Amino acid sequence: MILSRKKVRDLETADLGNAVDGRSLWADARIRFFKNKAAVAGLVVLVLVALFAAFGSFLAPWSNEEVDWAVLGQVDTMGRPSLASGHYFGTDELGRDVFARTIQGTQISLMVGLIGALIAVVVGTIYGATSGYHGGRIDNVMMRIVDVLLAIPYMFVLILLLVVFGRSVLMLFVGIGLISWLDMARIARGQTLSIKNKEFVEAAHAIGVRPVTIIRRHILPNLLGVVIVYATLLVPSMIIYESFISFLGLGVQEPSTSWGALISDGASQMQYGTLWMLLFPLFFFVITLFAFFFVGDGLRDALDPKDR
Amino acid sequence: MNLKAILSLTTATLVFGTAALAEGTHPVTGEALSDNQTFNYLQLDQFPSVDPQLVEETIGSAIARDLFEGLLIQDADGNLIPGVATSYEASNSNKTYTFTLRPEAKWSNGDPVTAHDFVYAWQRAVNPETASPYGWYMELTSIVNAAEILAGDMDPSELGVKALDDHTLEVQLTKPLPYFPAMTTYATMMPVHQATVEEFGSKWTDPENIVSNGAYVLTDVVLNEYNTREKNPMYWDADNVIIEKTTGHIINDANAGLTRYKAGEIDLTDELPPGQYPNLLAEMPDEAHSVPRLCSYYYTFNFRPDSKPELQDVRVRKALSYAIDRNVIVDQILKGGQWPAYNFAHRATAGFEMPEIDYAGWTQAERDAKAKELMEEAGVEDLEVKLIYNTSESHKAIATIVSQMWKQKLGVETTLENYEWKTYLGIRKDGKFDVARGAWCADYNEASTFLDLLTSNNGNNDGKWSNAEYDDLIEASTTSDNPNEMYTKAEKILADDMALAPIYHYTNAFLLKPDVKGWPYNNAERNWYSKDLYRVAE
Amino acid sequence: MLSYIFRRLAVAIPTLLVLVVFSYLVMYAAPGGPFDTERALPQEVMANLEAKFGLDKPLVVQMANYVWNVVVHFDFGPSYYYKDQTVNDIIAQGFPVTLTYGFWSFVVAVVVGMSLGVCAAVYHNSWLDYLAVGVSIGAQVLPNFVMAPILVLVFTLWLGWLPGGGWQGGQWQYVVMPVIALSTSFMASIARLTRSSMLEVLNANYIRTARAKGLPMRKVILRHALKPALLPVVSYLGPAFVAMITGSVVVDMYFSTGGIGVFFVNSALNRDYSVIMGITILTGALTIFFNLVVDILYAWIDPKIRY
Repeated sequence: MILSRKKVRDLETADLGNAVDGRSLWADARIRFFKNKAAVAGLVVLVLVALFAAFGSFLAPWSNEEVDWAVLGQVDTMGRPSLASGHYFGTDELGRDVFARTIQGTQISLMVGLIGALIAVVVGTIYGATSGYHGGRIDNVMMRIVDVLLAIPYMFVLILLLVVFGRSVLMLFVGIGLISWLDMARIARGQTLSIKNKEFVEAAHAIGVRPVTIIRRHILPNLLGVVIVYATLLVPSMIIYESFISFLGLGVQEPSTSWGALISDGASQMQYGTLWMLLFPLFFFVITLFAFFFVGDGLRDALDPKDR
Repeated sequence: MNLKAILSLTTATLVFGTAALAEGTHPVTGEALSDNQTFNYLQLDQFPSVDPQLVEETIGSAIARDLFEGLLIQDADGNLIPGVATSYEASNSNKTYTFTLRPEAKWSNGDPVTAHDFVYAWQRAVNPETASPYGWYMELTSIVNAAEILAGDMDPSELGVKALDDHTLEVQLTKPLPYFPAMTTYATMMPVHQATVEEFGSKWTDPENIVSNGAYVLTDVVLNEYNTREKNPMYWDADNVIIEKTTGHIINDANAGLTRYKAGEIDLTDELPPGQYPNLLAEMPDEAHSVPRLCSYYYTFNFRPDSKPELQDVRVRKALSYAIDRNVIVDQILKGGQWPAYNFAHRATAGFEMPEIDYAGWTQAERDAKAKELMEEAGVEDLEVKLIYNTSESHKAIATIVSQMWKQKLGVETTLENYEWKTYLGIRKDGKFDVARGAWCADYNEASTFLDLLTSNNGNNDGKWSNAEYDDLIEASTTSDNPNEMYTKAEKILADDMALAPIYHYTNAFLLKPDVKGWPYNNAERNWYSKDLYRVAE
Repeated sequence: MLSYIFRRLAVAIPTLLVLVVFSYLVMYAAPGGPFDTERALPQEVMANLEAKFGLDKPLVVQMANYVWNVVVHFDFGPSYYYKDQTVNDIIAQGFPVTLTYGFWSFVVAVVVGMSLGVCAAVYHNSWLDYLAVGVSIGAQVLPNFVMAPILVLVFTLWLGWLPGGGWQGGQWQYVVMPVIALSTSFMASIARLTRSSMLEVLNANYIRTARAKGLPMRKVILRHALKPALLPVVSYLGPAFVAMITGSVVVDMYFSTGGIGVFFVNSALNRDYSVIMGITILTGALTIFFNLVVDILYAWIDPKIRY
């Protein structure tokens, strides 16, 4: 994971809002979050990008796979961005509409980011909570397994997996999700260790509630704050991973595309006077990542009063 | 083949040449030579091997051609000229060949090159322990017992080749093979230095160990960065070798290659970014070239019994093929001077007479109309096909465009599936496709190298198209006096049954610095030798 | 502390074994083999090749032989594709290159990143701060496969200052662009990390006390604030190392540096089993090692952490 160990360590011990103290802490957090201008701006950008991905295709006169035969072969002159031709962002080297393709790429990349993060969060949280709650020998074994997995050069393994099992969006989700649940598991475990000793958990234990139920009813809800913060930091790294995979030519199948594929195609055409192929997708890529970073930082500050 | 004549010509220039070189001018043309006689070129990948018997791809064989010299070599037009052999005789109705070797040929350590070196090398090529990936090439030469030795049924010493004396090599073939001498130009049949191979084992090709007999010696190999070969003073014709040092730079990316060419770091890049050739030609008219390359690009249909029933209907296949606007692909996507193809064998293949294919002469509008008509006639609606191709920028572009042509003209929905190379080979071999991208490059400059591919028993006939008449024709052509007539007929059968949809015939588009002369533009097999190149003074 | 190190090293061995078995199984499951080519090889030729590289033996035997050779002889076997080379040759040539530009990238990233971060924190909420944050996030999200061609375009084609690729044993003009391309995103992360931890430290009571005593800002920073602010950067070393090896794929492709990255990708595509294994194992071992070093350093700098 490119996330720093410091962040992971901070989150392991961070005293984030928990449900026991009632809603006020969440309300506080919300107020603090909305006071943070950068975070709010980030949120607005994210909403706009999501709207663009969801509804942008209604504005596009072209589909993402249609070839504009009039443009094909002379893309550097005819394929320029223009309102008249309906190619608002120009066309790619095959005469396909970059606007429509950027929309479609945005959908895929956001999906990879969100689903990848979701997989990581779900697997990591359950694993970490279980490990932390049980403690002792089970905890030891489970965490050693995480240590073992952390030592695997994951990008290499992902390349291997994509080569071996063929590329598909599913494989990307699985591969990228698999890489990233480990840190989440460590964070969740650290938090669980501290929650475990709280009175309400001991009380539940004392009246004979089953461990599975305790984890589900008492531990997991209290992990929510950390999980949200970590997830917002995970999404951008998922998206960056995806772009790298696409650069290697192991990404989604044509005619589908993603930010990574568009940027990598555009970058390869950089010297030939067709910069729009690079700049438009790159713009969306960059602002979205910016936004995620700001929102992530904002959320952490809002949920972690210690920092203030 | 009048080798004697060619030889005497070479000797004449040699005498004349030695005098002229001293003046800094080219011995034949008299051009003023540059002081800088180095040549730098792009290699798309690290070569796997330069061991002649292990070479299996173009990058390694280009180096091997400089390092080692076979019995015969090629000139700038692809004609055979003497290498280590000064002459040969065919006897026993083309089943026995006797080569006479030049006595002055030496290894880079000073040892003479003898017929025994060839015997050793060829035995090595078929020895199962060597495990040469080009073992099949030795089977193709039909040297007596080659196949049996490869299969492990006989000892390598039983191979049908022997040294009558140090400078006479005799080869026995199992069948008459008029083109056997031409086959000796390929790396697999180049000699190796026995003592060196035996002393260093698999490390014998390392620059510090290697002993070679060609115009150059390998001096430096830095993996995935560059490799150099420098003039071999022991080479028998060293006086006429002008380029002092050739360096291959490994550049994995065509765009990076172009940048480095423009920056003057390399003199040759034969991997141009797709579609950029016209711009480069306009920008550098003296440096951009496009020459025929003996490869054909095609889409093969799946004829297996369990495949799409619609594709078994010749009308549907024809409709799909007609609907492909090859001019768009060639002129608007590839833009490298490729030819739209309506037949399989490359048009520049030596001796090949292009068949008259009906739809080649139609306009695209006519083809489109006919395609729609055929689809209606066949009563096919809502056809969905799976088109597979291997990962590459231009394959992707062509597949995308073709799928759009099919969709818009015929309403055929295409699923594109792109696999990396090794996976792709397996999937294509197992027939898990409806339409598959393929390309075939000539092993030798004769049309049968293409047309053999579609015979029923060919291991590379991945579409499993089968036609008895076609098989008979190709079989008969091997012993025919006029095989090209039969090839033309065979092509007609292919077109009538639309066994595959030919797309285009390759060209090789490249950039070469204008002061580099002697490039063999007319060698259709792209066999170039550093010893033929030279740089003129600006 | 010592027992902790031993415990970590003890985990390293099963980790590497898991890695070997896992990679072997994945490769075994991979469609296509190292000797498949466009032309379908005749059976006897294929059989000879498989026999030469021991691929005709059962999987368990192959794996056992492999582990034996690696452990006992430190021999990673011959490359199946680069037939003139052994895996040891390839690693011996490629790793030093990757480590060299990886090291310089790291140095640049740390020095520039930290300076940027400290400046941003000290001049908190000034234009300098905003600029530093903007630049560093921008640099962090700009993929290096976009950065690399831009660098070549600018420094090679337009300015003509630097060669467009090659390594030449690591002469400085060949190292500059790979290092820039590789270090930028790490530099940005380090700048952001430094800034936020520096801000935290500067708000701490002991710093306020030091300032109240009238110590000049420069001394406060150098003497009191820098060391605690260093922590996150140190913790970043391990992941950064791994990411740099991954990033070497792009660097090797664009700059023909001949590092390990391009070998890995090509070998995966060529099904060059032994090279994939060699690189995976070595990278795995180095990852473990660097993570360990980082954790030890961390404990050494931060007395609060005990293992």
